[in-house]
Amino acid sequence: MSQSIIRPGLPSPEQLKEYRIWDSYFTPSYSHPGPDGSSRLIADIERALPAIRKGQFEKLCYFPHVGTGTTTDSDYEKLARSNPNVILKPVKRWPKLLMGMIQVNANDIRVSLDAINRWVQDGPMLGVYFPGGGPGALTCTHRNVYPLVERIADLKGVIMQHTWFKTGGKQSLGESTPTELAELAAKYPNQKFICAHAGGEWQRGIRAVRSSPNILIETSGFDATAGFIEMGVRELGAKRIVFGSHLPSRSLGTELGKIIGADVSQKDRRLILGENYRSLLSR
Amino acid sequence: MTGLELNRRDVLNLAVAAGTATSILPVSVESAEDAASLRIVDTNISLFQWPFRRLPLDDTGALVEKLRSLGIAQAWAGSFEAILHRDITGVNRRLAAACRQHPELISVGSINPELPGWEEDLRQCVNEFRMPGIRLHPGYHGYTLTDSRFKQLLKLATSAARFVQIAATMEDTRTQHPKLVVPDVDLAPLTKLMPAIPNARVQILNARPRSPLLERFAKTPGVFFDTARVDGTDGIPKLALAAPGRVLFGTHAPFLIPEAALIRVHESGVLNESQLRAVYSRNAETFGKAIA
Repeated sequence: MSQSIIRPGLPSPEQLKEYRIWDSYFTPSYSHPGPDGSSRLIADIERALPAIRKGQFEKLCYFPHVGTGTTTDSDYEKLARSNPNVILKPVKRWPKLLMGMIQVNANDIRVSLDAINRWVQDGPMLGVYFPGGGPGALTCTHRNVYPLVERIADLKGVIMQHTWFKTGGKQSLGESTPTELAELAAKYPNQKFICAHAGGEWQRGIRAVRSSPNILIETSGFDATAGFIEMGVRELGAKRIVFGSHLPSRSLGTELGKIIGADVSQKDRRLILGENYRSLLSR
Repeated sequence: MTGLELNRRDVLNLAVAAGTATSILPVSVESAEDAASLRIVDTNISLFQWPFRRLPLDDTGALVEKLRSLGIAQAWAGSFEAILHRDITGVNRRLAAACRQHPELISVGSINPELPGWEEDLRQCVNEFRMPGIRLHPGYHGYTLTDSRFKQLLKLATSAARFVQIAATMEDTRTQHPKLVVPDVDLAPLTKLMPAIPNARVQILNARPRSPLLERFAKTPGVFFDTARVDGTDGIPKLALAAPGRVLFGTHAPFLIPEAALIRVHESGVLNESQLRAVYSRNAETFGKAIA
Protein backbone atom coordinates (compact mmCIF):
# COMPACT_ATOMS: atom_id res chain seq x y z
CA MET A 1 0.00 0.00 0.00
CA SER A 2 1.45 3.37 -0.92
CA GLN A 3 1.30 6.24 1.51
CA SER A 4 -1.09 8.11 -0.74
CA ILE A 5 -3.92 5.66 -0.22
CA ILE A 6 -3.63 5.60 3.56
CA ARG A 7 -6.19 8.31 4.05
CA PRO A 8 -8.85 7.09 6.49
CA GLY A 9 -11.55 9.53 7.47
CA LEU A 10 -11.51 11.52 4.25
CA PRO A 11 -14.14 11.36 1.53
CA SER A 12 -12.85 10.44 -1.92
CA PRO A 13 -10.87 13.08 -3.85
CA GLU A 14 -13.75 13.22 -6.31
CA GLN A 15 -16.24 13.96 -3.54
CA LEU A 16 -13.98 16.62 -2.05
CA LYS A 17 -13.60 18.30 -5.44
CA GLU A 18 -17.33 18.22 -5.89
CA TYR A 19 -17.77 20.14 -2.61
CA ARG A 20 -15.77 23.07 -4.11
CA ILE A 21 -14.20 24.00 -0.78
CA TRP A 22 -13.49 27.67 -0.12
CA ASP A 23 -11.78 28.27 3.20
CA SER A 24 -12.76 31.53 4.92
CA TYR A 25 -10.25 31.31 7.75
CA PHE A 26 -6.70 30.40 6.77
CA THR A 27 -4.17 31.47 9.42
CA PRO A 28 -0.56 30.93 8.32
CA SER A 29 1.88 32.69 10.65
CA TYR A 30 -1.11 34.37 12.19
CA SER A 31 0.58 36.82 14.54
CA HIS A 32 3.57 37.91 12.44
CA PRO A 33 4.58 37.25 8.81
CA GLY A 34 8.30 37.38 9.57
CA PRO A 35 10.67 40.31 9.90
CA ASP A 36 11.05 40.61 6.12
CA GLY A 37 7.29 40.72 5.72
CA SER A 38 6.68 37.30 4.23
CA SER A 39 9.18 34.53 5.03
CA ARG A 40 7.36 33.03 8.00
CA LEU A 41 4.06 33.45 6.26
CA ILE A 42 5.21 31.66 3.14
CA ALA A 43 6.84 28.90 5.17
CA ASP A 44 3.59 28.33 7.03
CA ILE A 45 1.58 28.28 3.78
CA GLU A 46 3.97 25.64 2.47
CA ARG A 47 3.52 23.71 5.71
CA ALA A 48 -0.23 23.69 5.09
CA LEU A 49 -0.06 22.74 1.41
CA PRO A 50 -0.18 18.94 1.85
CA ALA A 51 -3.45 19.27 3.77
CA ILE A 52 -4.80 21.86 1.35
CA ARG A 53 -4.12 19.52 -1.55
CA LYS A 54 -5.44 16.48 0.28
CA GLY A 55 -8.62 18.40 1.06
CA GLN A 56 -8.91 19.53 -2.57
CA PHE A 57 -9.44 23.15 -1.47
CA GLU A 58 -10.15 25.59 -4.30
CA LYS A 59 -9.40 28.79 -2.43
CA LEU A 60 -8.33 30.05 0.99
CA CYS A 61 -8.64 33.47 2.59
CA TYR A 62 -5.90 34.69 4.92
CA PHE A 63 -5.54 37.86 6.98
CA PRO A 64 -2.41 39.88 6.24
CA HIS A 65 -1.03 42.47 8.64
CA VAL A 66 -0.81 45.63 6.54
CA GLY A 67 0.73 48.11 8.97
CA THR A 68 -2.34 49.11 10.96
CA GLY A 69 -0.66 48.26 14.25
CA THR A 70 -1.90 44.69 14.57
CA THR A 71 1.55 43.33 15.42
CA THR A 72 3.86 44.32 18.27
CA ASP A 73 6.78 44.82 15.86
CA SER A 74 7.22 48.51 15.01
CA ASP A 75 9.85 47.74 12.35
CA TYR A 76 7.45 45.43 10.56
CA GLU A 77 4.61 47.95 10.81
CA LYS A 78 6.79 50.57 9.09
CA LEU A 79 7.86 48.08 6.42
CA ALA A 80 4.27 47.10 5.69
CA ARG A 81 3.17 50.70 5.26
CA SER A 82 6.14 51.71 3.13
CA ASN A 83 6.46 48.65 0.92
CA PRO A 84 3.15 47.04 -0.07
CA ASN A 85 4.97 44.54 -2.26
CA VAL A 86 5.97 42.49 0.79
CA ILE A 87 2.30 42.07 1.60
CA LEU A 88 1.46 40.94 -1.90
CA LYS A 89 4.13 38.24 -2.09
CA PRO A 90 1.92 35.29 -1.07
CA VAL A 91 -0.95 36.37 -3.34
CA LYS A 92 1.46 36.74 -6.25
CA ARG A 93 2.98 33.33 -5.57
CA TRP A 94 -0.37 31.52 -5.28
CA PRO A 95 -2.72 33.77 -7.26
CA LYS A 96 -5.35 31.11 -7.93
CA LEU A 97 -5.32 29.75 -4.41
CA LEU A 98 -5.17 32.74 -2.06
CA MET A 99 -7.51 35.58 -1.20
CA GLY A 100 -6.98 38.15 1.50
CA MET A 101 -8.82 40.27 4.03
CA ILE A 102 -6.71 42.82 5.84
CA GLN A 103 -6.35 42.96 9.60
CA VAL A 104 -7.57 46.31 10.90
CA ASN A 105 -6.98 48.03 14.20
CA ALA A 106 -9.98 49.86 15.58
CA ASN A 107 -7.71 51.52 18.12
CA ASP A 108 -6.34 53.58 15.21
CA ILE A 109 -9.24 54.68 13.03
CA ARG A 110 -7.26 56.89 10.65
CA VAL A 111 -4.62 54.30 9.78
CA SER A 112 -7.24 51.58 9.43
CA LEU A 113 -9.43 53.72 7.12
CA ASP A 114 -6.37 54.45 5.00
CA ALA A 115 -5.62 50.75 4.84
CA ILE A 116 -9.20 49.91 3.87
CA ASN A 117 -9.02 52.43 1.04
CA ARG A 118 -5.62 51.17 -0.05
CA TRP A 119 -6.33 47.45 0.10
CA VAL A 120 -10.08 46.95 -0.22
CA GLN A 121 -11.18 49.90 -2.37
CA ASP A 122 -8.20 49.55 -4.70
CA GLY A 123 -7.86 45.77 -4.24
CA PRO A 124 -6.92 43.02 -4.16
CA MET A 125 -8.23 42.43 -0.62
CA LEU A 126 -11.87 41.46 -0.19
CA GLY A 127 -12.68 42.72 3.27
CA VAL A 128 -11.39 43.12 6.79
CA TYR A 129 -10.62 41.01 9.82
CA PHE A 130 -11.14 42.38 13.32
CA PRO A 131 -8.75 40.45 15.58
CA GLY A 132 -9.59 39.20 19.05
CA GLY A 133 -6.12 39.58 20.53
CA GLY A 134 -2.92 41.55 20.19
CA PRO A 135 -2.51 45.30 19.90
CA GLY A 136 -5.18 45.60 17.19
CA ALA A 137 -8.02 44.11 19.22
CA LEU A 138 -10.91 46.22 20.39
CA THR A 139 -14.31 44.99 21.50
CA CYS A 140 -16.61 45.29 18.51
CA THR A 141 -19.23 47.36 20.34
CA HIS A 142 -16.73 50.22 20.78
CA ARG A 143 -17.70 53.33 18.81
CA ASN A 144 -14.31 53.31 17.05
CA VAL A 145 -15.50 50.29 15.11
CA TYR A 146 -18.45 52.11 13.51
CA PRO A 147 -16.60 54.24 10.92
CA LEU A 148 -14.64 51.21 9.82
CA VAL A 149 -17.78 49.13 9.37
CA GLU A 150 -19.43 51.99 7.47
CA ARG A 151 -16.51 52.27 5.07
CA ILE A 152 -16.45 48.53 4.48
CA ALA A 153 -20.19 48.62 3.86
CA ASP A 154 -19.67 51.36 1.26
CA LEU A 155 -17.15 49.13 -0.48
CA LYS A 156 -19.36 46.03 -0.16
CA GLY A 157 -16.54 44.24 1.64
CA VAL A 158 -16.76 41.30 3.99
CA ILE A 159 -16.26 41.60 7.75
CA MET A 160 -14.81 38.73 9.77
CA GLN A 161 -14.94 39.35 13.54
CA HIS A 162 -13.03 37.08 15.92
CA THR A 163 -15.33 35.92 18.72
CA TRP A 164 -15.17 33.68 21.77
CA PHE A 165 -17.35 32.92 24.76
CA LYS A 166 -14.79 31.77 27.31
CA THR A 167 -15.74 30.09 30.54
CA GLY A 168 -14.56 32.47 33.24
CA GLY A 169 -14.84 35.49 30.98
CA LYS A 170 -12.60 37.37 28.58
CA GLN A 171 -8.85 36.84 28.81
CA SER A 172 -8.09 40.28 27.39
CA LEU A 173 -10.02 43.53 27.12
CA GLY A 174 -10.10 43.63 23.33
CA GLU A 175 -11.93 40.33 22.87
CA SER A 176 -15.47 40.21 21.48
CA THR A 177 -18.30 37.80 22.10
CA PRO A 178 -21.05 36.76 19.68
CA THR A 179 -23.49 38.75 21.82
CA GLU A 180 -21.42 41.87 21.22
CA LEU A 181 -21.24 41.14 17.52
CA ALA A 182 -25.03 40.80 17.44
CA GLU A 183 -25.24 44.25 19.04
CA LEU A 184 -22.96 45.70 16.35
CA ALA A 185 -24.75 43.89 13.53
CA ALA A 186 -28.10 45.29 14.64
CA LYS A 187 -26.82 48.79 13.80
CA TYR A 188 -25.94 47.75 10.24
CA PRO A 189 -28.70 45.42 9.03
CA ASN A 190 -27.58 45.61 5.40
CA GLN A 191 -24.01 44.56 6.16
CA LYS A 192 -23.08 40.89 6.55
CA PHE A 193 -20.79 39.89 9.41
CA ILE A 194 -18.99 36.59 9.94
CA CYS A 195 -18.82 35.44 13.55
CA ALA A 196 -15.44 33.69 13.60
CA HIS A 197 -15.35 30.44 15.61
CA ALA A 198 -19.08 30.72 16.36
CA GLY A 199 -17.97 31.89 19.78
CA GLY A 200 -15.91 28.73 20.46
CA GLU A 201 -18.50 27.59 22.99
CA TRP A 202 -20.93 27.25 20.12
CA GLN A 203 -24.07 26.42 22.04
CA ARG A 204 -24.07 29.94 23.45
CA GLY A 205 -22.59 31.40 20.27
CA ILE A 206 -25.33 30.08 18.02
CA ARG A 207 -28.02 31.29 20.41
CA ALA A 208 -26.42 34.74 20.60
CA VAL A 209 -26.59 35.33 16.84
CA ARG A 210 -29.74 33.34 16.11
CA SER A 211 -31.90 36.46 15.77
CA SER A 212 -29.35 38.36 13.66
CA PRO A 213 -29.97 37.35 10.05
CA ASN A 214 -26.98 39.39 8.85
CA ILE A 215 -24.55 37.26 10.88
CA LEU A 216 -23.03 34.02 9.57
CA ILE A 217 -20.97 31.75 11.79
CA GLU A 218 -17.52 30.44 10.88
CA THR A 219 -16.64 26.89 11.92
CA SER A 220 -12.96 26.78 12.96
CA GLY A 221 -10.91 27.41 16.07
CA PHE A 222 -12.01 24.81 18.61
CA ASP A 223 -11.96 21.03 18.99
CA ALA A 224 -14.08 18.94 16.64
CA THR A 225 -16.90 18.78 19.15
CA ALA A 226 -19.78 16.68 17.90
CA GLY A 227 -23.18 18.25 17.38
CA PHE A 228 -21.98 21.73 16.44
CA ILE A 229 -22.93 21.70 12.78
CA GLU A 230 -26.18 19.88 13.50
CA MET A 231 -27.20 22.62 15.96
CA GLY A 232 -26.03 25.35 13.60
CA VAL A 233 -28.09 23.97 10.72
CA ARG A 234 -31.09 23.48 13.00
CA GLU A 235 -31.04 26.95 14.54
CA LEU A 236 -29.58 29.15 11.79
CA GLY A 237 -29.97 27.16 8.61
CA ALA A 238 -27.06 25.91 6.53
CA LYS A 239 -26.94 29.15 4.56
CA ARG A 240 -25.61 31.00 7.59
CA ILE A 241 -22.55 28.79 8.13
CA VAL A 242 -19.16 29.16 6.41
CA PHE A 243 -16.23 26.78 6.62
CA GLY A 244 -12.84 27.78 7.99
CA SER A 245 -9.71 25.63 8.31
CA HIS A 246 -7.50 27.61 10.72
CA LEU A 247 -4.60 25.82 9.00
CA PRO A 248 -1.86 25.13 9.83
CA SER A 249 -2.15 25.82 13.57
CA ARG A 250 -5.30 23.72 13.53
CA SER A 251 -5.86 20.97 11.01
CA LEU A 252 -7.75 19.55 8.07
CA GLY A 253 -8.88 16.75 10.34
CA THR A 254 -10.33 18.92 13.06
CA GLU A 255 -11.92 21.50 10.81
CA LEU A 256 -13.05 19.56 7.76
CA GLY A 257 -14.03 16.73 10.11
CA LYS A 258 -16.66 18.97 11.69
CA ILE A 259 -18.47 19.26 8.36
CA ILE A 260 -18.00 15.82 6.81
CA GLY A 261 -18.64 14.06 10.11
CA ALA A 262 -21.86 15.94 10.85
CA ASP A 263 -25.26 14.40 10.37
CA VAL A 264 -26.42 16.88 7.73
CA SER A 265 -27.35 16.61 4.07
CA GLN A 266 -24.87 16.75 1.20
CA LYS A 267 -26.62 19.91 0.03
CA ASP A 268 -25.94 21.52 3.40
CA ARG A 269 -22.29 20.42 3.25
CA ARG A 270 -21.89 22.09 -0.15
CA LEU A 271 -23.38 25.30 1.19
CA ILE A 272 -21.14 25.33 4.24
CA LEU A 273 -17.94 24.27 2.51
CA GLY A 274 -18.07 26.83 -0.27
CA GLU A 275 -21.35 28.05 -1.72
CA ASN A 276 -22.20 30.42 1.11
CA TYR A 277 -18.79 32.05 1.12
CA ARG A 278 -18.79 32.48 -2.64
CA SER A 279 -22.20 34.13 -2.42
CA LEU A 280 -20.95 36.50 0.27
CA LEU A 281 -17.91 37.51 -1.76
CA SER A 282 -19.91 38.11 -4.91
CA ARG A 283 -22.28 40.65 -3.35
CA MET B 1 6.13 -3.71 50.23
CA THR B 2 3.79 -2.67 53.06
CA GLY B 3 1.29 -4.88 54.79
CA LEU B 4 -1.52 -2.84 53.29
CA GLU B 5 -0.25 -3.51 49.79
CA LEU B 6 0.05 -7.19 50.53
CA ASN B 7 -3.53 -7.18 51.67
CA ARG B 8 -4.67 -5.51 48.45
CA ARG B 9 -2.61 -7.89 46.40
CA ASP B 10 -4.42 -10.69 48.18
CA VAL B 11 -7.81 -9.10 47.54
CA LEU B 12 -7.04 -8.81 43.88
CA ASN B 13 -5.89 -12.40 43.65
CA LEU B 14 -3.36 -11.28 41.12
CA ALA B 15 -1.86 -14.66 40.47
CA VAL B 16 -5.19 -15.73 39.05
CA ALA B 17 -5.91 -12.46 37.32
CA ALA B 18 -2.70 -12.05 35.36
CA GLY B 19 -3.13 -13.05 31.75
CA THR B 20 -6.93 -13.22 31.87
CA ALA B 21 -7.68 -9.87 30.31
CA THR B 22 -9.99 -9.60 27.34
CA SER B 23 -7.87 -9.99 24.24
CA ILE B 24 -6.96 -6.77 22.50
CA LEU B 25 -5.44 -8.61 19.59
CA PRO B 26 -6.99 -8.22 16.14
CA VAL B 27 -10.66 -8.95 15.56
CA SER B 28 -12.09 -9.33 12.10
CA VAL B 29 -14.32 -6.42 11.16
CA GLU B 30 -15.24 -5.19 7.72
CA SER B 31 -13.31 -2.03 6.97
CA ALA B 32 -14.02 1.03 4.86
CA GLU B 33 -12.85 0.76 1.26
CA ASP B 34 -9.99 3.23 1.57
CA ALA B 35 -8.58 1.47 4.59
CA ALA B 36 -9.11 -2.05 3.29
CA SER B 37 -5.79 -3.38 4.52
CA LEU B 38 -5.15 -0.82 7.22
CA ARG B 39 -5.99 -1.94 10.73
CA ILE B 40 -7.13 0.83 13.07
CA VAL B 41 -7.40 0.59 16.86
CA ASP B 42 -9.09 3.47 18.64
CA THR B 43 -7.78 3.53 22.21
CA ASN B 44 -10.05 6.33 23.42
CA ILE B 45 -13.80 6.20 23.10
CA SER B 46 -16.51 6.48 25.75
CA LEU B 47 -19.98 5.02 25.92
CA PHE B 48 -23.28 6.49 27.13
CA GLN B 49 -24.24 10.12 27.63
CA TRP B 50 -21.96 13.11 28.05
CA PRO B 51 -23.30 14.90 31.14
CA PHE B 52 -23.65 18.33 29.54
CA ARG B 53 -25.40 17.77 26.22
CA ARG B 54 -26.62 15.03 23.94
CA LEU B 55 -24.09 13.87 21.37
CA PRO B 56 -25.07 12.56 17.92
CA LEU B 57 -23.34 9.21 18.58
CA ASP B 58 -24.12 8.65 22.24
CA ASP B 59 -26.13 5.55 21.40
CA THR B 60 -23.73 2.60 21.51
CA GLY B 61 -25.16 0.93 18.41
CA ALA B 62 -24.88 4.13 16.38
CA LEU B 63 -21.33 4.70 17.60
CA VAL B 64 -20.24 1.19 16.67
CA GLU B 65 -21.83 1.54 13.25
CA LYS B 66 -19.92 4.77 12.70
CA LEU B 67 -16.62 3.24 13.81
CA ARG B 68 -17.17 0.33 11.44
CA SER B 69 -17.89 2.70 8.57
CA LEU B 70 -14.56 4.38 9.22
CA GLY B 71 -12.62 1.12 9.26
CA ILE B 72 -11.94 1.12 13.00
CA ALA B 73 -11.52 -2.52 13.93
CA GLN B 74 -11.29 -2.18 17.68
CA ALA B 75 -12.11 0.51 20.22
CA TRP B 76 -11.18 0.73 23.90
CA ALA B 77 -14.24 2.09 25.65
CA GLY B 78 -14.56 3.93 28.91
CA SER B 79 -17.78 5.41 30.24
CA PHE B 80 -18.92 9.03 30.41
CA GLU B 81 -20.92 8.00 33.46
CA ALA B 82 -17.68 7.54 35.37
CA ILE B 83 -16.99 11.26 35.34
CA LEU B 84 -19.68 12.19 37.86
CA HIS B 85 -21.37 9.01 39.08
CA ARG B 86 -20.39 7.71 42.50
CA ASP B 87 -21.71 4.20 41.95
CA ILE B 88 -18.66 3.26 39.91
CA THR B 89 -19.45 -0.41 40.41
CA GLY B 90 -22.70 0.06 38.52
CA VAL B 91 -20.97 2.19 35.91
CA ASN B 92 -18.43 -0.53 35.17
CA ARG B 93 -21.08 -3.25 35.16
CA ARG B 94 -23.13 -1.38 32.53
CA LEU B 95 -19.99 -0.71 30.50
CA ALA B 96 -18.95 -4.34 30.50
CA ALA B 97 -22.45 -5.45 29.51
CA ALA B 98 -22.62 -2.97 26.63
CA CYS B 99 -19.20 -3.96 25.32
CA ARG B 100 -20.15 -7.64 25.35
CA GLN B 101 -22.74 -6.85 22.68
CA HIS B 102 -20.14 -5.66 20.17
CA PRO B 103 -16.97 -7.60 19.33
CA GLU B 104 -15.09 -4.41 18.45
CA LEU B 105 -15.47 -2.91 21.90
CA ILE B 106 -12.96 -3.53 24.67
CA SER B 107 -14.24 -2.28 28.01
CA VAL B 108 -11.90 -0.15 30.11
CA GLY B 109 -13.42 0.34 33.55
CA SER B 110 -13.04 3.41 35.68
CA ILE B 111 -11.67 3.65 39.18
CA ASN B 112 -12.14 6.60 41.53
CA PRO B 113 -9.63 6.30 44.35
CA GLU B 114 -11.46 9.05 46.22
CA LEU B 115 -14.31 6.61 46.85
CA PRO B 116 -14.29 4.11 49.72
CA GLY B 117 -13.70 0.59 48.52
CA TRP B 118 -12.12 1.44 45.18
CA GLU B 119 -9.99 -1.68 45.52
CA GLU B 120 -13.11 -3.78 45.08
CA ASP B 121 -13.90 -1.91 41.85
CA LEU B 122 -10.41 -2.72 40.64
CA ARG B 123 -10.84 -6.35 41.60
CA GLN B 124 -14.07 -6.51 39.62
CA CYS B 125 -12.49 -4.88 36.56
CA VAL B 126 -9.62 -7.36 36.69
CA ASN B 127 -11.18 -10.61 37.84
CA GLU B 128 -14.85 -10.36 36.96
CA PHE B 129 -14.95 -8.24 33.81
CA ARG B 130 -11.46 -9.21 32.64
CA MET B 131 -10.75 -5.71 31.43
CA PRO B 132 -7.25 -5.14 30.00
CA GLY B 133 -6.91 -1.76 31.67
CA ILE B 134 -8.59 0.95 33.69
CA ARG B 135 -9.30 4.61 33.06
CA LEU B 136 -8.86 7.44 35.56
CA HIS B 137 -10.35 10.93 35.71
CA PRO B 138 -8.21 12.71 38.33
CA GLY B 139 -9.51 16.14 37.32
CA TYR B 140 -13.16 15.27 37.86
CA HIS B 141 -12.51 13.00 40.84
CA GLY B 142 -10.39 15.54 42.67
CA TYR B 143 -6.91 14.17 43.26
CA THR B 144 -3.46 14.81 41.86
CA LEU B 145 -0.87 12.41 40.53
CA THR B 146 1.18 12.96 43.68
CA ASP B 147 -1.61 11.40 45.74
CA SER B 148 -0.47 8.24 47.51
CA ARG B 149 -3.68 6.46 46.49
CA PHE B 150 -2.86 7.02 42.85
CA LYS B 151 0.52 5.43 43.40
CA GLN B 152 -1.09 2.45 45.14
CA LEU B 153 -3.60 2.10 42.34
CA LEU B 154 -0.90 2.20 39.69
CA LYS B 155 1.11 -0.44 41.55
CA LEU B 156 -1.88 -2.71 41.90
CA ALA B 157 -2.91 -2.33 38.27
CA THR B 158 0.64 -3.07 37.18
CA SER B 159 0.79 -6.11 39.42
CA ALA B 160 -2.37 -7.34 37.76
CA ALA B 161 -0.77 -6.71 34.33
CA ARG B 162 -3.28 -3.97 33.50
CA PHE B 163 -2.63 -0.64 31.80
CA VAL B 164 -3.85 2.64 33.20
CA GLN B 165 -5.35 5.42 31.09
CA ILE B 166 -5.37 8.91 32.57
CA ALA B 167 -7.76 11.43 31.06
CA ALA B 168 -5.74 14.63 31.24
CA THR B 169 -8.89 16.49 30.36
CA MET B 170 -12.24 15.73 28.80
CA GLU B 171 -13.04 19.17 27.39
CA ASP B 172 -11.27 22.43 26.58
CA THR B 173 -11.31 24.46 29.80
CA ARG B 174 -12.56 27.45 27.82
CA THR B 175 -15.83 25.73 26.94
CA GLN B 176 -16.58 23.91 30.20
CA HIS B 177 -19.77 24.48 32.14
CA PRO B 178 -19.16 27.49 34.41
CA LYS B 179 -20.37 25.55 37.46
CA LEU B 180 -18.03 22.65 36.79
CA VAL B 181 -14.66 23.98 35.71
CA VAL B 182 -12.00 21.26 35.78
CA PRO B 183 -8.39 22.24 35.10
CA ASP B 184 -6.20 19.94 33.04
CA VAL B 185 -4.41 17.30 35.12
CA ASP B 186 -0.81 18.14 36.04
CA LEU B 187 1.04 15.23 34.44
CA ALA B 188 4.56 16.18 35.52
CA PRO B 189 4.60 13.88 38.61
CA LEU B 190 4.58 10.87 36.28
CA THR B 191 8.19 11.53 35.35
CA LYS B 192 9.23 10.68 38.92
CA LEU B 193 6.62 8.06 39.64
CA MET B 194 6.94 5.82 36.59
CA PRO B 195 10.58 4.77 37.10
CA ALA B 196 9.64 3.68 40.61
CA ILE B 197 7.05 1.18 39.35
CA PRO B 198 8.71 -1.22 36.92
CA ASN B 199 6.50 -2.43 34.04
CA ALA B 200 3.84 0.20 34.71
CA ARG B 201 2.09 1.33 31.52
CA VAL B 202 0.22 4.63 31.49
CA GLN B 203 -1.53 6.15 28.49
CA ILE B 204 -2.35 9.83 28.77
CA LEU B 205 -5.60 10.69 26.98
CA ASN B 206 -6.74 13.98 25.46
CA ALA B 207 -3.51 15.83 26.22
CA ARG B 208 -1.44 18.14 24.05
CA PRO B 209 2.04 17.33 25.33
CA ARG B 210 4.45 20.17 24.76
CA SER B 211 8.08 20.95 25.33
CA PRO B 212 9.82 20.60 27.78
CA LEU B 213 7.51 18.07 29.46
CA LEU B 214 7.25 16.09 26.21
CA GLU B 215 11.00 15.52 26.12
CA ARG B 216 10.92 14.40 29.75
CA PHE B 217 8.09 11.98 29.02
CA ALA B 218 9.94 10.60 26.02
CA LYS B 219 12.68 9.54 28.41
CA THR B 220 10.29 8.23 31.07
CA PRO B 221 9.53 4.51 30.84
CA GLY B 222 5.96 3.40 30.32
CA VAL B 223 4.33 6.72 29.31
CA PHE B 224 2.18 6.67 26.17
CA PHE B 225 -0.13 9.19 24.49
CA ASP B 226 -3.21 9.32 22.33
CA THR B 227 -4.04 11.49 19.34
CA ALA B 228 -7.49 12.80 20.21
CA ARG B 229 -6.70 16.47 20.94
CA VAL B 230 -3.26 16.81 19.35
CA ASP B 231 -3.97 19.52 16.80
CA GLY B 232 -2.10 21.39 14.07
CA THR B 233 -1.69 19.98 10.60
CA ASP B 234 1.54 18.22 11.60
CA GLY B 235 0.93 17.94 15.34
CA ILE B 236 0.52 14.16 15.49
CA PRO B 237 3.58 13.45 13.28
CA LYS B 238 5.67 15.75 15.47
CA LEU B 239 4.51 13.91 18.58
CA ALA B 240 5.02 10.50 16.97
CA LEU B 241 8.56 11.41 15.94
CA ALA B 242 9.38 12.89 19.35
CA ALA B 243 8.09 9.83 21.19
CA PRO B 244 8.53 6.87 18.81
CA GLY B 245 6.30 3.90 19.56
CA ARG B 246 4.38 5.77 22.22
CA VAL B 247 1.58 7.44 20.29
CA LEU B 248 -1.59 5.36 20.12
CA PHE B 249 -4.48 6.35 17.93
CA GLY B 250 -7.48 7.69 19.88
CA THR B 251 -10.47 9.79 18.87
CA HIS B 252 -12.30 10.75 22.09
CA ALA B 253 -15.49 9.83 20.24
CA PRO B 254 -18.32 10.46 20.55
CA PHE B 255 -17.46 13.76 22.27
CA LEU B 256 -15.22 14.57 19.31
CA ILE B 257 -15.97 13.66 15.72
CA PRO B 258 -13.89 10.51 14.98
CA GLU B 259 -12.96 11.61 11.45
CA ALA B 260 -10.95 14.47 12.97
CA ALA B 261 -8.21 12.35 14.53
CA LEU B 262 -8.25 9.85 11.66
CA ILE B 263 -7.40 12.58 9.17
CA ARG B 264 -4.90 14.39 11.38
CA VAL B 265 -2.61 11.36 11.51
CA HIS B 266 -2.02 11.37 7.75
CA GLU B 267 -2.96 14.82 6.41
CA SER B 268 0.52 16.38 6.47
CA GLY B 269 2.19 13.54 4.59
CA VAL B 270 5.03 13.62 7.11
CA LEU B 271 4.73 10.02 8.31
CA ASN B 272 5.65 7.13 6.04
CA GLU B 273 3.53 4.01 5.71
CA SER B 274 5.23 2.15 8.53
CA GLN B 275 4.92 5.11 10.86
CA LEU B 276 1.25 5.54 9.96
CA ARG B 277 0.54 1.89 10.68
CA ALA B 278 2.35 2.20 14.00
CA VAL B 279 0.12 5.07 15.11
CA TYR B 280 -3.12 3.60 13.77
CA SER B 281 -2.67 0.20 15.41
CA ARG B 282 0.76 -1.32 15.93
CA ASN B 283 1.68 0.80 18.94
CA ALA B 284 -1.63 -0.06 20.59
CA GLU B 285 -1.10 -3.76 20.01
CA THR B 286 2.42 -3.57 21.41
CA PHE B 287 1.14 -1.61 24.39
CA GLY B 288 -1.52 -4.24 24.95
CA LYS B 289 0.76 -7.24 24.48
CA ALA B 290 3.28 -5.82 26.90
CA ILE B 291 0.81 -6.03 29.71
CA ALA B 292 -1.72 -8.69 28.73
